Amino acid sequence: MLSQSAPKFSSTGTQATRIVGVLTIVVMTWVVISGLVFTPADVVQGESVRIMYVHVPSAWIAYLAFIVTAITSAFYIFAKRHSLGFDRVAGASAEVGVMFMVITLVTGSLWGRLTWGEFWQWDPRLTTTAFLLVTYIGYLAVRRLDGSIEQRARRSAVIALLAVLEIPLVHFSVVFWRSLHQRATILDPNGDVKMDGLMLFTLFSGVVGFTLVFVWLILHRQRTMLLSDLANQSGLDAAILARQNENVSN
Amino acid sequence: MDLTPRPESQAPKRRRWMPIIILSLVGVGGVVIVTQFLSSAIDYYCNVDEVGVRSGCDTTNRLRVQGTVEQGSLAKLNNTTNFTLVFNGKSLDVKYSGDPGGVFQECVSVVAHGRLVNGKLESNRIEVKHSNEYEAKNKDRLEESGSAACSQVQG
Repeated sequence: MLSQSAPKFSSTGTQATRIVGVLTIVVMTWVVISGLVFTPADVVQGESVRIMYVHVPSAWIAYLAFIVTAITSAFYIFAKRHSLGFDRVAGASAEVGVMFMVITLVTGSLWGRLTWGEFWQWDPRLTTTAFLLVTYIGYLAVRRLDGSIEQRARRSAVIALLAVLEIPLVHFSVVFWRSLHQRATILDPNGDVKMDGLMLFTLFSGVVGFTLVFVWLILHRQRTMLLSDLANQSGLDAAILARQNENVSN
Repeated sequence: MDLTPRPESQAPKRRRWMPIIILSLVGVGGVVIVTQFLSSAIDYYCNVDEVGVRSGCDTTNRLRVQGTVEQGSLAKLNNTTNFTLVFNGKSLDVKYSGDPGGVFQECVSVVAHGRLVNGKLESNRIEVKHSNEYEAKNKDRLEESGSAACSQVQG
């Protein structure tokens, strides 16, 4: 059950979110400058390789967001105390994950146009990624179905635990099947990373920066979800009280 | 009606291991389907050495053929681009109507879409399948970029 007391914060910001926010700005500023100015062009792909500093981190953070959704959903279902806090973090993480997945697909399409010569092809990696996005849009739709907050949490937690199984399918699609999309560079099963040093450093900076963006967004979003749940709950309480008063007066 | 919560000992215990077993079975089933049954249906292209040999790579069908553009084979003539694709010791001549543009060059892997006519692939679409290797383009060695691409592809 939700706490009936009023929230103890007047905004969704805290000292922690402000620190994360400042760190995010610093790291992302470095990523933009390094990605556009300091890093070299690629010997084959030329300047288009710079899209990598957005495309790859956003894909990884989308995976991370969906994994966080699954873990917090598992905590909600399997923990003795079914804390709705886990459900809210799961929902917030899925929303942010969908946003990063869209960024991944848009930047991937642009990169594909410049290298493959096509915005989109139904190859295994692109198809499974599109399927993953649709699945999580479905997850977000389920969270908005009618029912109590507890029903919402239970339904969406089950879906989250099933949907996360798609992530290995997406990641290894380029290994299982023949894909137009290249194989992993950093997470190459052979462990042999073939990337220029500054490119690699900028890519990792991008991953750190996007992770900070992710943390900052879900901290705020899960708090707005708490406020929304409290508002809904107080409306329900008021309706019950009004009905009880009607009975008393009758 | 008595709505007092029942004592802990009387409450039926929920079997929480069932969802875990079901999820595990779904996971195992998914892996089996993906690795054993879907490969032949989902592969995006045929390699050069599989044309006319592998199921789904029949010479009578429209094909997507993957191979590396052989060094020294690229020739552009009258809005037509001719080159040879090589893979695993086999080669296939390709005639493409137009200029592939973009990052197309010798020694890169490409997927050529088209039909086989007299043993030559007449293609109307070329997709450059770039590698997972990233190497700095040095301004002092611009002229070496072509050979660098070859060294990347050939490992």
